[in-house]
Amino acid sequence: MAAGTAAAGVCLLSDKAAALVSSPVKTNILRPPGAVPEEIFPAKCIRCGRCVEVCPYESIVPPDIRKGIYAGTPLIDVKKIPCYLCMKCVQVCPTGTLTRISQQETRMGLAVIDKHSCVTWNEELALCRTCYNVCPFKEKAIKLDQLRPVVIEEFCTGCGLCTHGCPVNRKDGNKAINIEPIYAFKPVRW
Amino acid sequence: MPGKQPKKTFYNRIRLLSLTSAFILILAVPFLNRYCHFSFIQGWYQSLSIGHLWFVSPLEGLESILTSRKLYGPLLVGMIGPVLLALLLGRVFCSWICPISFLSEIMDRLIRLLTGKKFRKPGIAMPRRMLWFALMGEVMLAMVIGAPVFVFLSPPGLVGREIMMATLFHTLAIEGVIVIIVLLLHLFSRRLFCRHLCPLGALIAVLGMARRLKIRKDKEACIDCGLCKRACPLSLDPAKDESLSAYCWNCGECVDACKPKALGYTWSSSRPKG
Repeated sequence: MAAGTAAAGVCLLSDKAAALVSSPVKTNILRPPGAVPEEIFPAKCIRCGRCVEVCPYESIVPPDIRKGIYAGTPLIDVKKIPCYLCMKCVQVCPTGTLTRISQQETRMGLAVIDKHSCVTWNEELALCRTCYNVCPFKEKAIKLDQLRPVVIEEFCTGCGLCTHGCPVNRKDGNKAINIEPIYAFKPVRW
Repeated sequence: MPGKQPKKTFYNRIRLLSLTSAFILILAVPFLNRYCHFSFIQGWYQSLSIGHLWFVSPLEGLESILTSRKLYGPLLVGMIGPVLLALLLGRVFCSWICPISFLSEIMDRLIRLLTGKKFRKPGIAMPRRMLWFALMGEVMLAMVIGAPVFVFLSPPGLVGREIMMATLFHTLAIEGVIVIIVLLLHLFSRRLFCRHLCPLGALIAVLGMARRLKIRKDKEACIDCGLCKRACPLSLDPAKDESLSAYCWNCGECVDACKPKALGYTWSSSRPKG
């Protein structure tokens, strides 16, 4: 009994410890534009907060020590405030953690439409085109296929404007169109 | 050379002015950035930019390079200024700019006002070498866990981060307690963190080992009164030439305290031995 409790305690502790060294980047929680892969991000970023200070929309928020070694690194919760791609943060990063790239080159993630939740994909007469309308690369990154939105992977920057605008709130807290950080976990080229 | 200061507390006043303006700078900058969209000056003492002139704290930069194993031009260029400052003047960042120093100074002055005592006892005495072990241990730890540890736990950086968090998001980060702990340690034992534990101070001290600006003693004028030792916030003894060692941070407390004016700042144009 006591041994079981102790083992459970150790498991809980190791889970907590693992959470301190695992990346906070996940669906809709993204890095600013130009970020190096997550493998190297916490090593390179010196947490100087200049991207946070310069962001005019307060999109970039630094987490505190509860995120372990990722404390103070810049994160964007696109459901709250998306990235408007003003590209100011990439110009001030002193360590090259945010590499200097253009708007079009930005790949914060990829917008993925949940066709089971999206009203336009589900209902015949629904004409919601919010994601299509708010997309900064309209007709390139999001197109309409028989009045239904389709994401074109090649051009999607992952800025999250579509997620922010989407009126559907799924039970798990996400939207009908979500940004998956598929580029954040690619391996580092040395 | 000594004997030139007309007023009694000369360097202390300038230093307090310098510390205060350095603190006001990091206090005002997030506010200006947030409410006036003024981004000409940005950041705090981890990375500070004035227009296109960028500074990066040497330890933060070094850790970033060591843990990421990548060199980045702007980072190296940003480190040149602080490194040159340390090479020529020694640990002056600690005593003349650091926000922790500012807060400690203010505390010192309050304590002086309350107790009426001019100098506080140094409190706990630990071997001075601990400073080097703090630096080595910290760099090792950063390499092991693969993230620059000092950057999110450094007290001087945290002061800046907390000011920014308060201005931008009207909240505070939990790790700010480290600042409070450091200040409590200071209350308990004078400048305990700066003296023994600060890795940034240690790195600047290493760089400043052969610094040009040093506090030297005039052997004839010194009367061995021991005032300088009591005044020194790092509990060094300038009368025993300890102000020439790597540990001295050129704050000038001893110069001001010296009654016979035997101590003074000197600039050596040739690199001294040792």
